[in-house]
Amino acid sequence: MNEKWGPRRQDLIRFLREIQKAGLPVESLDDSDELVASGLIDSLAILQIVIYLEDTYGIDLSVRGVDPEQLGSIGNILDLIEQERP
Amino acid sequence: MLLELSVGNLIEPVSGRRWDRAEIGCQVARRIARLQKHGLAPGDRVFLPFGNRLEFFVELLAIWRLGGCVIPIDNRLTAFEVENLARAATPRLAVVDEATPAEIIQVLSTSGVNVIQTTETGTDEAAASLVGLESDALMLFTSGSTGDPKGVVHTHRSLRARWMSLRDHLGVVAFEKTLCMLPTHFGHGLICNSLFPWLSGQDLYITQPFRPELVMRLGTLVDESGITFMSSVPPIWRLALKLARPPQRGTLQRVHCGSAPLSAHMWEDIRRWTGTRNVCNAYGITETGSWVAGLVDAGVPAEDGLIGQGWGAVVRVLHTNDTTQSLDRETRCAPGESGFVWLNTPALMKGYFRRDDLTRQAVVDGWFMTGDIGFLDDRGRLVLRGRERDEINKGGMKIYPSDIDAVVESFERATDVCTFALDDPIYGQTVGMAVVLADQSDETICALYQWMKAHLAEPKMPVRWWVIDAIPRTSRGKINRDAVKAACQNQPPLDLPGILGKGTSS
Repeated sequence: MNEKWGPRRQDLIRFLREIQKAGLPVESLDDSDELVASGLIDSLAILQIVIYLEDTYGIDLSVRGVDPEQLGSIGNILDLIEQERP
Repeated sequence: MLLELSVGNLIEPVSGRRWDRAEIGCQVARRIARLQKHGLAPGDRVFLPFGNRLEFFVELLAIWRLGGCVIPIDNRLTAFEVENLARAATPRLAVVDEATPAEIIQVLSTSGVNVIQTTETGTDEAAASLVGLESDALMLFTSGSTGDPKGVVHTHRSLRARWMSLRDHLGVVAFEKTLCMLPTHFGHGLICNSLFPWLSGQDLYITQPFRPELVMRLGTLVDESGITFMSSVPPIWRLALKLARPPQRGTLQRVHCGSAPLSAHMWEDIRRWTGTRNVCNAYGITETGSWVAGLVDAGVPAEDGLIGQGWGAVVRVLHTNDTTQSLDRETRCAPGESGFVWLNTPALMKGYFRRDDLTRQAVVDGWFMTGDIGFLDDRGRLVLRGRERDEINKGGMKIYPSDIDAVVESFERATDVCTFALDDPIYGQTVGMAVVLADQSDETICALYQWMKAHLAEPKMPVRWWVIDAIPRTSRGKINRDAVKAACQNQPPLDLPGILGKGTSS
């Protein structure tokens, strides 16, 4: 699954490493693992993910709104990027 | 008046649970009977390590009616911290809910506290109304969870003074349907956002605090319940403004923001989003019963740091922050001149629990030294410019570096430590830490992390670590946290996830 996303996934992992809490290495998560429930990030860190999507891919979620689940895992975020990339 | 159960309805908009006044009366009466059976006597203190649900509010009223003092506890505290608070406050009872961790219940029991479940009430009912104005009503711990706890004690008189002042300045009409998304173990969320409207007969809509999934559907929530008032803190607005669609029905009449003053830019964004110009900063401090100043007519142009005038409080800005001298001498700053903010209010706390020394350090001749820096403008309105205190304001949660330092200092391989505030795009501030270790091996770092995790509530855990050779000190040997922070930020922080990951995989 990791190869499917290529550099986009690597970039997301690099970003998550910057905002993650200390206790759990992001590399230990599967793409379907929940980022908040696993303890990787704080629940409000979703805002940082939104800003990352805006800055990196030009995806403006304030226009279309977002279901929190779409930002809930690495795989879901990558799916969202795929769908929404301008 | 406010304590005669002239309460409004209680609603959990997410679960759909709703208690009307009759049901609230029944729930309180059952809890009075149950608390009597457990021997609660006037003056007894009761821990409530849960909140933000209907049961919390009826427990509070029942305890008050029996003359007890309520101590709401953050449900994220570790067993170590709860044990420390229990040692300091010596509660007779703790009322918990089904989400209270077993280790918290265990530590309370072994501390000699009688633990009961909030939902186990039985069907017996009893009446009581032992409320005396001078009795202790509420204790809120503001710091010292790992060391010497600092509990702010409010009497029924000081709380009533706060609520009456708010009613005089703001009325109750705008609070008809009040939404609280803030924690009920904070003065802001409990005393003002929840209890003021509810005990004034208005309806209170209560949710779990700081839930992004709720914030992201805030507009829908406001529309569905016809919310007329809400208070919040900047991190929630950052999320809502970005991701939640605005409410459509135009029901919001008034909106407060606390914890840290809004920038003029965000202020205007919130006005646009909420559909009301009646948005303002509510300046609140636990010791003064929270909201102590703000704007009555909040439709004025937004200004960075603008608070407004005292709500049941006299606000002065003085040249001095010295609490060892009488304030007889005239030391007021001129309009526009920055100085230290002092408050005089009948809603001032009784004092810090069993810490008269700390009370004397904060209160002089009835004036409370806030630790905030600001000025009064030419219209007499308070404008905040900063803080003098060490505390870290993480999205409204005040974190005291000394609480974290105390835990690290007790780790045998740590020789020195200094925690400090770091700027954070979401919370405003978060926690950074410089630590000196006897050895800098990964094993020691992992051990320190586990030690801290066992002793500190999760929000207090530093997010960036710097392991350094020595903590810089002033010529007097004191730590200047800003200087330590500046020194650390010149070098990259520790790759803590990487080190811990190695520990996990080995």
